[in-house]
Order: sequence, then structure tokens, then C-alpha cells
Amino acid sequence: MAVQILRERSRGAVQKVVLGATREEGGTRSHTVTVGGDTALPFHHFEGEVSRPMLAMEVQDVVPDWPQALKNCFAGVLNDPGKWAKKCVDEYGADLIYLKLEGASPEGANKSIEQCVAVVKEVLEAVGVPLIVVGCEDLSKDQELLAAVAEAARGENLLLGNAEQDNYKSLVTACLAHNHSLIARSPLDINICKQLNILINEMNLSLNRIVIDPSIGGLGYGIEYAYSLMERVRLGALQGDKMLSLPVICTIGDEAWRAKEAYAAAIDYPCWGDELERGILWEALTAMTMLQAGAHILLMRHPQAVAKVREAIDQLMNDNSY
Amino acid sequence: MQQYTVTFLPAGLNLTVTAGSSVLTAAAQAGLALKSSCGGSGTCGQCIIKVVSGQVQLTGGNLAAQLKQQGYTLACQTLIYGDVVLEIPATSLLAEHRVFVADKGRLPDSLTELPAEYPLQPVCETVSLKLPEPSLTENACDMDRLLTNLQRQKGLKAEVGLQLLQNLPQTLRDSNWQVEVTYETEVNRILRIAAAGSSRSYGLAIDLGTTTVVASLLDLSNGIRVARKGTYNRQAAYGDDLISRVIHACETNDGLDALRQSALTTINGLIEDLLVEVKVAPAEVVAATIAGNTIMIHLLLGISPKFIRLQPYIPAAAEWPPMNANEVGLNINPLAPVYIFPAVASYVGGDIVAGVIFSQMAQNEHLNLFIDIGTNGEMVLGNDEWLIACACSAGPAFEGSGISNGMRAMSGAIEAVNIDPQTNTIELEVIGGGAPAGICGSGLIDCLAKLRRTGVIDRSGNFIATDNPRVRPNDEGYEFVLTPASESKTGQDIVITSADIKTLIRSKGAVYAGIQSLLKTVSLELDAIDKIIIAGGFGNYLNIANAVEIGLLPDLPPEKFVFAGNAALKGAELALLSRPAWQQALELARKITYLELSSGNLFMEEFVAALFLPHTRLELFPSLVDAKSNGHRQEN
Repeated sequence: MAVQILRERSRGAVQKVVLGATREEGGTRSHTVTVGGDTALPFHHFEGEVSRPMLAMEVQDVVPDWPQALKNCFAGVLNDPGKWAKKCVDEYGADLIYLKLEGASPEGANKSIEQCVAVVKEVLEAVGVPLIVVGCEDLSKDQELLAAVAEAARGENLLLGNAEQDNYKSLVTACLAHNHSLIARSPLDINICKQLNILINEMNLSLNRIVIDPSIGGLGYGIEYAYSLMERVRLGALQGDKMLSLPVICTIGDEAWRAKEAYAAAIDYPCWGDELERGILWEALTAMTMLQAGAHILLMRHPQAVAKVREAIDQLMNDNSY
Repeated sequence: MQQYTVTFLPAGLNLTVTAGSSVLTAAAQAGLALKSSCGGSGTCGQCIIKVVSGQVQLTGGNLAAQLKQQGYTLACQTLIYGDVVLEIPATSLLAEHRVFVADKGRLPDSLTELPAEYPLQPVCETVSLKLPEPSLTENACDMDRLLTNLQRQKGLKAEVGLQLLQNLPQTLRDSNWQVEVTYETEVNRILRIAAAGSSRSYGLAIDLGTTTVVASLLDLSNGIRVARKGTYNRQAAYGDDLISRVIHACETNDGLDALRQSALTTINGLIEDLLVEVKVAPAEVVAATIAGNTIMIHLLLGISPKFIRLQPYIPAAAEWPPMNANEVGLNINPLAPVYIFPAVASYVGGDIVAGVIFSQMAQNEHLNLFIDIGTNGEMVLGNDEWLIACACSAGPAFEGSGISNGMRAMSGAIEAVNIDPQTNTIELEVIGGGAPAGICGSGLIDCLAKLRRTGVIDRSGNFIATDNPRVRPNDEGYEFVLTPASESKTGQDIVITSADIKTLIRSKGAVYAGIQSLLKTVSLELDAIDKIIIAGGFGNYLNIANAVEIGLLPDLPPEKFVFAGNAALKGAELALLSRPAWQQALELARKITYLELSSGNLFMEEFVAALFLPHTRLELFPSLVDAKSNGHRQEN
């Protein structure tokens, strides 16, 4: 007897967000990248559309304070964001470049706005993929910095971040004025996540220019909270809640490499095994978990972790409908 | 200890105090109620006075430099060390509160027509008796004569106590053996024996509120309310909010007694006023009912409320044992039974039970939601089959406390705000007219709605129109100037700050989250609610449309909202007149399910979702969404 397959039909879909702009569209990217558009739960090809998650690799404007094993992958280019980005795209196949202007931090290198803008331009010239650009997490510096970046990269349709609940207005204004999209970041709270989307949308930035950063935890550090929250975001989107129907971006590299388990030397913890392999797996597993929870853009660091996740995505994107 | 004489101007009151007493304490002793929301800790800056002459010591406190220069000081921070003359400005005295002025309740206000469920069966009844005179052959004692005849003539098996016995022989002979006997029904205890024709019996219903106390006197023979009066709770001298009073009661020597005495002084003051007005003798008041929250009742009865404040929040009793007026300290007939409404839980007190009795929601097959929007936002949901209650800590913001220029709904309070988005002009409605001194709950709700509507703040309550000429930066963000110093009664700007707005959003969020938590617990939707009964003094002056616009109340058609006025008092009156109502109160307190919001994360989740104007789930407020799109269409 034939088995009756029950399929969930969704009332809504995740908004499609296009990143980058080609020459015809007023930018300089070789191509654009579209995220979102899903009408089913992650990888439920049998129930609807499933969009391919995108892999972004992180580049910073200063030599980052990363574990040596991770830095080794970018030996010789860590001082040069343009070359670093190019290596990520050409050698490691990054879909997007995630440029973090860490050097702007008043407590760090305290680079000038002009210096930072120059880095953005350098990376834009070095690669053809769309860019994600975030500030240094210093509220007042970021306001000024992101406004300047938005202006300098006018028309490029960058994905700029981060807009937060108490500090979204200036970034929204900059994105509206210079045609960019933005990351709306909330502190692991679905209500604040939705509130922020409403607030931004009410300033007339259309929903197809907003990507959600729900704030995740790395593997072993509260990842299950992020999982259930993202699950609720996706379920909300599929049930037709417009203010939750936005693609999700996850700071995988940042969270995974913060975990002691990812970087502690094997000499100190012999039973934990080889640290290089451990770090890669920690990042890859964090990414895999978030993929299952509904991530659209993964912000990653280690090329081998990226390769592993890409392989998994290839398999997950095999149509399993029947 | 050295004693000094204190004279208060302009009232001209004199009294003697111990050296080192604060002026605030002295004023309370003299019967002058000064504003003091911080309870004398020097932070609220309300108890402003002027030392005319005499030696005092100033200890500091929060007072504007401008006022200090003019010679003003704070009463709570001014200690008396000599014979002094003090002047109390009218603005420092508690003015008449709106809650007393009128009770616009739409539920039946008159109790002459009692609901069918609660027939006129007063808790005390009076019967007339003609006793046979004793003789040498018929020589039963006075007490037996009375009790035997009560049973023979009225079928009443009653008992009499020592206090009545002491006067019984004389009373019987003075009345020429024709007497009226008042007794407490149910237990058949005799309360009063008076000469026939001379006796009237009254009952006293009291709503013992944290802020205000209201009492009414009812004629038990016909159920008519003969007088009603209200005043401020004198405990306010120990702090506006319950917690400061609990702290005072538990951590100060004689603190508990001081709070007990101030509650009694407040109530006995009302009793005296009521009795004088309608010319009734204290002995004729033969029963009392009291509705109050759990902590107020503890304080009134002189029971330490210490453990209610600490987890797991356990009260001394939920259902109170029988007691009489003498034990409680009420200046009415000392034998009069005092019925204190039982509580559902520590934070859903007898006042709520009384309100539920009055609302008759326990007799209604339709779903009703009873809300008392106060500091503790209690609410009860249910029908004739089940009832569930919770208390959400909404905070005192809607009572004007904890808000920069907040005040209670009294003369000088802004109660409505209109902002013209084009010209940015503001029109204020002030209670009693004249220059505003602050803003009260209804004004705050209105203000929040209008600031949002005109785009001055966003849905999170952040100021976004920072270029608006009335918006200016302050220490913690921004503030909006409602009235400049030059036009206000206080000589200072009246503003609403970012912090005030956040506080208000938290308060309204707590109330709404409480409603949602109740509904979710019983798996019902908002539209299942047939009526929302709004109780409490605040309820009378609440603009429903504004309250919905900010998301304080659910978006239901206006006809579903009913104001119950002072439901606690009305419930207390019902219980006096109808023993079935009192029985029901006892039953309800046991029957109502209490939902503890602090356990589990249901409430927190709902609370965060409600910290938005009107709500994160905008779909819960369809009428606002429609209104908005209509507006756009008109503009186009």
C-alpha cells in the first residue's frame, strides 16, 4: 500500500535579498549574490524552495588576534586586506567577503575614518564578489565610520552592519541614502529581533534589504539557544510573519574560535587531540548546526572548515523531494 | 529628652515634639499630610517647607538650588532642635485626589437593588422582643429571660458575652422590657441590646488601599448607602509604595506599630467624619468589612509583613479568623464583627476578591477579565466554572510614581496631551485648570500615545525626532518638554524623559503580558473575552483608545470595556448587606487558581514581546494597523 506523504505547505516565504551590484546596476561587482527565498524548513526540498546558503570569509583591516594555526592559512596576506580577500575568493572559493573594520576601534589601532574607507575601496577593487562590511563595535565611531563607508561605496549595495535596537537610525539613513543593505542585530531574543525589523522597516528601508543577525553562540556555548531561536524565525517566516521573513546571517568564525576547545594547545590538553584539526572541526560543526537551523550566510574563518561546510552544503542541496 | 514646641503656619497648629524629630514626622503628628513619595529618605523633593524661625538642623536631601536660595528645605531632612515656626506651602500638601471626587462606574452604583444572587441578608440582623417582667414566682435571671424569649419568640438560639451582660440588667429595666437585639447571623452572637425604637444598625465597608482609603456607611435594615468618604492613606508618610512601608515596618523600631497606627488613624478619621455627617453613634455601627491587599491587611492587624516580601512570599494568613472591632482598633461598636476579605495569594489580595464579588463574574457564563491597574496590576480571568488570577509587577508609573514629573491624579496634574504635528504646539488639559504641576497616569498614557503618533519616539520608545524643538538631550538620553518652567506651577520644566518612557513601556508591557499569560495558560484567545472589567480609581479616568494605542489594554471593541469604579469598596458593601456574598468571597478565595508569573518563562517571553508600541506582534492590534493605512489613504 502506498504511503501517504504529508507535506507542510507554508503560507509565507523568506524574503529574497540581493547583495552587491554589477556595473549595470550602479556598482562594480562581477556578479550579485541572492540569499533567501525559501518556502520550506532548511533542506526540506520535498516541501518547497530551499535556497543555497552562502559562505563568506572574514578579512580584517588589521592583523587579527587569531590562533597561530588559523593565521597560518593567510600567511603573507594578513597585512594586506586586498590580497587577503583575493586569496579567500580565488583560492578558498568564498562566495562573499566579510570585511571587519576592527582597526577603527578607539581602544585598538584607532585608525581614521579615511584609512578605513581606503581599505573598503581596496577590497572592492581586489575582488569581484559582494562585500559585507561591519564596524568595530564602538557605537559612536561606527556611526561615523559606516556613514562614510556607505557614501564612499555608493551604489555597491554592500551589506552593512550592525544596526542594533538602540542605534539603528544612522545606519538605516546611510543605507537609504546610498543604496546599501544592512544587518539587523539583536541579542538572542526573537522579540527584539522582530521589533528591530519593524523599526527599520518603518524608516522606509524595504524588507528585501535587511538580513537578521540573531547573535549565536558557538558549539558548546549556548548554540542550542541560537538554534531554537532561528527555528522560530523560520517557522514565523513560513507562517507569513513578514517581520521575521528575512535571511539570517551567523557569525560562525567569531563564536567558534572564541571557544577554548577550538584553540587550546594539544600540549596542555593531550586527550583533546590535535589542535589544528580540532579548531577546524569546531568551526565546521558550529556552521553545520546553524545551517540546519536555517542560516543563509555563514561568516567563517578557516579555509578547511569552509571546504568541509561547502561539501556538506553540496550534499544537502541535492534534491530530496519525492 | 528635651521637648520643643512646633508651630505650623498657615494652619496655626501647635504641638510638642522630642528634640531631633524631623519636621515630616511632626507634621504627621499634627495631622498635616505632606507629599512624600520617598517616605522621608530625602530623594523625592516633595515635602518642601520653610523654616520661619527657630533652631533646626538640615541633613541634605534632593532640593533644587533655586528653592534652597529662597529659604526652602525638605521637611524630612529638617530636624527640630528648638521651638520652631514652620510654614507649609499649599503645594506641599496632598490635595484632594480625583478618586474621591466622583465614581463614574458604569456598573450599577446603587445597592438598593441588589443582584438576585446576593439577596438582602445583612451579616447582622436586629429583632424586637417584648420580655415578660420578672416576679417572685417567675424569677428566671435576666440573661435566661432574654435568651429563652429569643428562642421562643424568634427561634433564635443566641449567646451573649460579658461585655453586654455588664449592662444587661439596667438596659432591660430602662427599656421597660421592650428591647431590640442585634446579633451576628450565622454564629448568632448578640452584639447590641437597646431599648425598642431607639436602635438603628449600620455597617461599615472599607477599601483599604495603598494610596487611598475609602469607607462607606450602610443602613443594614434597607441596604441603603447613607454616606461615603475617602482620604489618603496616612501610611504614605512612610513611603508611597508598599515595599518601602514593609521595609519601614520590619527594619525600624516600632515601625510596624507606626504603620498600624497610621492605618487606624486614617480609617478612624473617616469613621468619625461619616458618623458626624449622618449623626450615627459608634455603637450603632455593628459590622465592618475590609477589602485590602495582603500587605495592607497585615499592617492594619499589626502582623509583620516581612515574609511576604521574601521568596517564597508567604503571608501570615489568607483567610482571617473572626475578630471584632475592639481587637482591630476600629472606633465603632467594640463587639462589631470585622470581616476581612480573604486573599487568593500574597499578591492577589482581598481587594481583588471583593472586586470579583462585585463584578459577579463568578456567576457569568461568559468569559470576563477583571483588571485592577495599579502598582501590582492584578487580574482575574474566568466565568462561572473557573477563575484564574495573576499579579504582574507593573510598578507605580501610572500612579505618577517613579516618573520625573509624575504625580497622582489631583489638582494641577496634566491629564491629557494634544500635540499638533504641523505646528508642534501642545495643548494640555490640567485637572482643576490653571498651570500644571506634573503629569498623572492618564496624562502619561495620552502623552506616550501622542509622542508615538507624531513620530517623536519610535515603537521602542527611543526619541527619533531629535531635531524637534521640544526635544533636548539630558544625562541619560533625551527629554521632551511639555511645559517650560515659566508656565508651570512648580517653576521648573515639566518634561518626559527617555527613562520615563522606558518605565511606562515596562509598566504597560507587564499588564499586557499578564493578560496574555492568563489567556495562554488556559489556551484561549483574546476574542474569547466577552467583557473587560477595569477596576480601581485609575480606571475611571482611563482613555480606552489611548490605552489600546500604547498596548496597555488589548485591542477589543470599546463596548467590551466596562469601568467598575471602586470595585473593592462595592464588593465590601455587598458583603455587608448579603451574607451569601460574604460566603462567596470565602469560597472564591479558595477557588480562584493563582498563576505565579515568576515561575517559568511564559510571562518573561510575553513581557519582552510587549515592550514595544503597541506590541511586537502588531497583528494583535488590528484596529491600529487599519487606522494607519486609512490615514495614508486620506493623505494620498
